[in-house]
Amino acid sequence: MGNSIAVFQSKRKRRILVDIIVYIVLVSISVIVLIPLFWMISTALKSNADIYAWPPEWIPRPAHWENFRNAWNAMPFNTYLLNSLFIVVLGVVAEIISETVVAYGFARYNFPGKNIIFVILLSTMMLPAHVTLIPTYIIWNRLGLLGEFDPLVLRAWTAWGPFYIFLMRQFFMGVPKELDDAADIDGAPLAQKFLKIMLPQIRPIIIAISIFAFRGYFNEFQGPLIYLSDKQKYTMTLGMYFFMGGVNEAPKWNYLMVIALIITLPSLILYFSAQKYFIEGITFSGIKN
Amino acid sequence: MERYLATFGRWLLVPVCLFILGLGLYYLMRILRWDKQQATGLALISPWLFGFIGFTAIPIFYSLYLSFTDFSLFGKEKWVGFGNYIKLFTNDIEFWPSVRITLSYAVFTLPVGVFGSLLVALLINREIRGIRIFRTILYLTAILPDTAVAIIWRQLFNGESGLINFFLSLFGVNKIDWFGNPKYVLPAFVIISVWGIFGTNTIIFLAALKDVSKALYEAAEIDGAGGFKRFIHITIPQISSVILVQVVMSLIGSMQMFTVAQFLRPTTQAGLFMNQLVYTRGFTQLHMGEASAIAWVLFVIILVLTLLVFRTSPAWVHYETEVKDVKGIKNVR
Repeated sequence: MGNSIAVFQSKRKRRILVDIIVYIVLVSISVIVLIPLFWMISTALKSNADIYAWPPEWIPRPAHWENFRNAWNAMPFNTYLLNSLFIVVLGVVAEIISETVVAYGFARYNFPGKNIIFVILLSTMMLPAHVTLIPTYIIWNRLGLLGEFDPLVLRAWTAWGPFYIFLMRQFFMGVPKELDDAADIDGAPLAQKFLKIMLPQIRPIIIAISIFAFRGYFNEFQGPLIYLSDKQKYTMTLGMYFFMGGVNEAPKWNYLMVIALIITLPSLILYFSAQKYFIEGITFSGIKN
Repeated sequence: MERYLATFGRWLLVPVCLFILGLGLYYLMRILRWDKQQATGLALISPWLFGFIGFTAIPIFYSLYLSFTDFSLFGKEKWVGFGNYIKLFTNDIEFWPSVRITLSYAVFTLPVGVFGSLLVALLINREIRGIRIFRTILYLTAILPDTAVAIIWRQLFNGESGLINFFLSLFGVNKIDWFGNPKYVLPAFVIISVWGIFGTNTIIFLAALKDVSKALYEAAEIDGAGGFKRFIHITIPQISSVILVQVVMSLIGSMQMFTVAQFLRPTTQAGLFMNQLVYTRGFTQLHMGEASAIAWVLFVIILVLTLLVFRTSPAWVHYETEVKDVKGIKNVR
């Protein structure tokens, strides 16, 4: 009896020791994660001279809050923000609508070739975007829409997020079939069945995907870089890119950090207000096979 | 306001067209003797199908064709056979450095990215006090925009007054010109990517860990298996399919580096990542043929590596016979 208590106690001691080590490691990792964020805020508030101080200053004294106004006014960021929001709204709305429809088709209907088509859809996730980049550019050129917002948003109608379709299909498949059957007996038309019965069932995943899609469109850089040439049509990320200056130019670090901070804010706000959906969305992606 | 109107109009028009096309497809299939259910299904997925055909399937072959031509976007493409490829492989000072940095980046970031994040996931899998705060902090790296992350790191790696050089100076290391000296460019990129692993990959691994049945561990404990043994014989086999997916997705992701590199602007002597080379050749120099050839080389490299991973996977991936449900996702927060 005494022996087993001793074993229990030594086990307990080991457990506490392991926990302490885990805490130490976690705290160090958290510090490593947070330092760059802290540095962004700190640099955003520095004067031009403080940026190049050696040793580096952790907390700028005094804090130059006027950097925010100056940075925002250094380029037409008002316009850029409006452009970004325009792209986000059009893209997200089109994507959610088309993807729920497509996912519903995959989840609830059977037709010859469905499984093969679905495998093809999944395999497009692994296709590097650059293989189709140039032909796509040529298509938009033929359509005369280079330099417009169209290449960034119109394709959203064709449900171009294979992964989102996959997620929604999984959710639709989790909806009990009896609900469909009941609606069929009532003689409800497809559109009504879809809107009134199916959509409310998959609300959580629609929210999660909207958040992801919002981030995707807002933070998108390569598309705007390639397709937008008119300064009036730049997005936030593209504006920030050109605000950074030429290849051999040292950027105005404090102003640049202000813009970086502003670009980060929507993602941060979404993260903290809808953390649950965010993480469920990412998590789902890992458990897909 | 007027700069939005035209796009908005076309944006409204596209779904109408897609709806008509879908309806047409429905009646076509009905004529071809499909029943209502089948035709409706095909019509519902048709928006994706049309997008796939028009913007993926045809473009893939079109870009393969373009890679054998000389094309500047204006005028007609001129067939040059293997000319672009021969020039790339034998007579292009930018091509091999680009392949080298792209591949080395993938080789260095892949193991660290996958196994580093697995280790972190193991750490935050422990139900200790305050663990949710740590999780919230670690997940932050998954949600920050690439562009902002790149700018922050460019400043941190700054040669004159960057924080990294400051930390190194505490250990007596002289200031390093990270992005000016080609030797240090790759290490800098790897460090940045390691910072990013705490986010997405870790969350996915944590969910996978939560999914491993507790009963397995309890059985092993009764058999007297220690922590390390349990990790090797239970944890790893149980989550091996998730590891496989992570390896493949990380590989594909790291080979496609673009945004961060574009913002960091290291010295060109270090070589551009292949995607950047596609961009400069195609969109700033308008050599669409050459750019397509580079894109295809990259595509083939990714394809070969992915197939290699899949071919070796039966040796180490443990497949469950029954389909796992996803209850683990409820507990990751």
